[in-house]
Amino acid sequence: MNDFSAGSTMHPWANGLYSIKRHGNSLTTCDSEPVHAPGCIQAHGALLVLRLTDLAILQASDNTEQFFGESPGVLLGQSVARVIGAARQAYLQNMLLRESLERNVLYAFTLPKREGKAALDVCIHTTDGVAVLEFEATGRQADPAERDYFSLVKSAVGRLQSASATGLRKFCELVAAEVYKMSGLDRVMVYRFHADQHGEVFAESKRDDLPAWLGLHYPATDIPQPAREIFKKLWVRPLQDAAGPLVELVPLANPDTGKPLDMTHCALRAASVMYTEYLANMGVAATLVMPVLVDGELWGLIVGHQYKPTSFAYQLRAACELIAQVVSLQLKSTEYIEQQAYRLKMDMVHQQLIAKAAQNGDLMAFFNGQPTLLDAMEADGAALFHMGRWWRVGCTPTDPQLNALADWLNQRAEFDQGERPVYATDSLSRDYPAGADIANVASGVLAVRVSRLRQDLILWFRPETIQTINWAGDPNEKTIDTGIHGARLTPRGSFELFAESVRARALPWTTLEIESAQRLRMLVMELVVARAEQLAELNIDLITSNAELDAFAYVASHDLKEPLRGIHRYAHQMMESTQGLDPANRERAESLMRLTLRMDSLLDSLLHFSRVGRTNLDFEDVDLNSVVADALEMVGVRPADKACTIVLARALPVARCNEVRVREIFSNLISNALKYTRQAQPRIEVGYLAPAEPGLPANAPPEASGQMVYYVRDDGIGIEKRHFEQIFRMFKRLNGREEYGGGMGAGLSVVKKVVGRHGGVIWVDSARGQGSTFYFTLPATHHAQP
Amino acid sequence: MSVLQNILVVEDNDGDYETVVEAAQRAGLLYQLRRATCGDECLDMLHQLVKLRSALPALLLLDLNTPGSDGRDALGLIKTCRKLRTIPTVILSTSSNPRDVDFCYARHANAYHTKPVSHRAHLQTLQDIFGYWLGCALLPTGTR
Repeated sequence: MNDFSAGSTMHPWANGLYSIKRHGNSLTTCDSEPVHAPGCIQAHGALLVLRLTDLAILQASDNTEQFFGESPGVLLGQSVARVIGAARQAYLQNMLLRESLERNVLYAFTLPKREGKAALDVCIHTTDGVAVLEFEATGRQADPAERDYFSLVKSAVGRLQSASATGLRKFCELVAAEVYKMSGLDRVMVYRFHADQHGEVFAESKRDDLPAWLGLHYPATDIPQPAREIFKKLWVRPLQDAAGPLVELVPLANPDTGKPLDMTHCALRAASVMYTEYLANMGVAATLVMPVLVDGELWGLIVGHQYKPTSFAYQLRAACELIAQVVSLQLKSTEYIEQQAYRLKMDMVHQQLIAKAAQNGDLMAFFNGQPTLLDAMEADGAALFHMGRWWRVGCTPTDPQLNALADWLNQRAEFDQGERPVYATDSLSRDYPAGADIANVASGVLAVRVSRLRQDLILWFRPETIQTINWAGDPNEKTIDTGIHGARLTPRGSFELFAESVRARALPWTTLEIESAQRLRMLVMELVVARAEQLAELNIDLITSNAELDAFAYVASHDLKEPLRGIHRYAHQMMESTQGLDPANRERAESLMRLTLRMDSLLDSLLHFSRVGRTNLDFEDVDLNSVVADALEMVGVRPADKACTIVLARALPVARCNEVRVREIFSNLISNALKYTRQAQPRIEVGYLAPAEPGLPANAPPEASGQMVYYVRDDGIGIEKRHFEQIFRMFKRLNGREEYGGGMGAGLSVVKKVVGRHGGVIWVDSARGQGSTFYFTLPATHHAQP
Repeated sequence: MSVLQNILVVEDNDGDYETVVEAAQRAGLLYQLRRATCGDECLDMLHQLVKLRSALPALLLLDLNTPGSDGRDALGLIKTCRKLRTIPTVILSTSSNPRDVDFCYARHANAYHTKPVSHRAHLQTLQDIFGYWLGCALLPTGTR
């Protein structure tokens, strides 16, 4: 609570006691105002402070003459019986003995109306060793027929109770509507305090002709801490005429103790000077405020405004008090239900993502298709660093900005803590200076690391709060006469101050969200571990089956070749036999020999193909220009021959790959280009397309994007589209066995396998008679180890 | 010097052995071809020669995949035996498996050749082997 001390030299009332009436206008900040001890009451009632031991009057409001016909000067020191009579004094004494009145306001009795004066309802409570009597005409014993508050409250409470499952927003809208209906006030709002204490008009019911304030935000300082403390102790706070006169207590200090009266619980307590000025600036004359408490903490306020001074009847106050209590209880469950629903939604989406990732075998599933990572948590953007690159959705910083941020995050101690490896901030620039540049997208950052060894991260982003708020027009467009603090104490002023206070700050991450992020992290890590185990098992199986396959391939080729050699030898001997064969048989023997040799080649190709898929490949930086030169030599192309034209559009780059195998790619593609042509002097172009360079054909697979794409282009016979897949199949030939120089039909399947071993893709673009272009990529980075 | 020098051929396949004989004839070798059909038989013959202090083969042609104790075992034993390891041992196999090739050289085989399917190429390979080992190379004295 505020540490108000009357002796503080900082205040103008330093040498005396504070009275809002005398000193209020000298205040400059809300926090310095002793709101609980204003020294004054609202003028529509009277107040007496009694010594507990003898019920003598210690202090009296300076308007007793108007209410009781005697001035404070006369009343001070007298027994309270002088005002209320001996019988009621005895009644009070009895109450003081039997009831628990300490800081608990109870109705005592009603002083009947006298000539020209309304009946006065009297409430009593004790505080700091004195009894406080408040006299107010609240119409407690007036004819109750005017409005049946009991049934109004009963039905309102019923509706509120059945609305708790409809969500926080709807519930609060109903609260505003019910209080508006019941109270007859001009405007009823539900304020909600956010985690950083700033407030928001969360729900509103109002007269149609009034401007809407729904969605307005105001800074935490608008309702200073002392005022918040008071709201935790009362259920209803009436202010009947904000601009009305104030009445001082006489004397200001308790003569027994020298202390000012703590008026926290007094309904008649004069309002804060800042508050009344604010109300005056808005043209509001009367307010009725009810706190909404959840677990003893101030969740928000129900605020009623009236544009004309009014009097709040006892019945209405009682009804509002009840509503405030019901709302407080109900809100807890509503908020709980809403939070659970949010939590469930986040977890459900996260589980869907994990299921998708498990199916696809990759975390990219978080970003492709539906749902995405952004469908779970309330964030504006999300990013994942995985497989050496960023995957982004929604509003996020750019890749270079993310790289810098990740470098910084990975240095932080949070991630090395076993318990909570999470970084969460609502103001990145406070921790990370470069964060100022990305405040518009990433003031709020929630980050978890999802791998121990590699530095894979999942990040969620929120922009500056100010950008997420709908500023629904200017509620105070017309120029108004403001009080001594000027435009500061207006909704517009509040909003501007609020906007300033949340610059480079985002809505904070809730515990719920941080926990959900952590659960997602655990799920991802489990998935990764499970996959690693699967892979390890598969690897063992693979090693075994590889070894078996290897043995099989050799044994098969050996066992097949031995009889083949025999057949060939016998055919050979037949040919050379001295008896001489007739021409037909001679031809048959020749065919026999040719076929055995062909089968020998097929076996060799098969063996080679199976070896390409299984042997370990070492990758190194290779100059592709010399690889292509070697490949040309291998296929017997000598530039000087002019048998064909070889075009290198521009020098090829250096690539990380296996030199021997990549030479095989080029030699196969070039030799195919030389074979499948009818041109007298075929033209072959070897080149590449850097990422994002134009020129990729429409049938480029998605894996090729962002990669260096190499190509070999010819002006040969071309390939029909329907054969694009087949040509890469083992022993598949499109043309007759002896056409275009024959061949095993193994070359392209070996090429495809080699490209695959580099983590790349190969595809062809061609049309019959239009030449062909073979494209391939060699990413190779994550296949360095088999 | 009175007796013709030996070439020991370990070969279970009759056809392949015939090819060796044909190649030897074509090369006009003045050597006596002796045949073993498996590793064990080869080792027995060699031990007999050592026992009788007879001349060891000038060249050993060893097929890897023979029944029973195969060429691999025989190679290992020959190349670890002080008296036998000087014999030039040339592996002839259908297998082009690098594992087999490496295995044989690791056990100190003197050369490794595959048997081509083409008969003509097969003959040529053998003639080349004979020409090199018995024509070009100088051989250790123990084989005389």
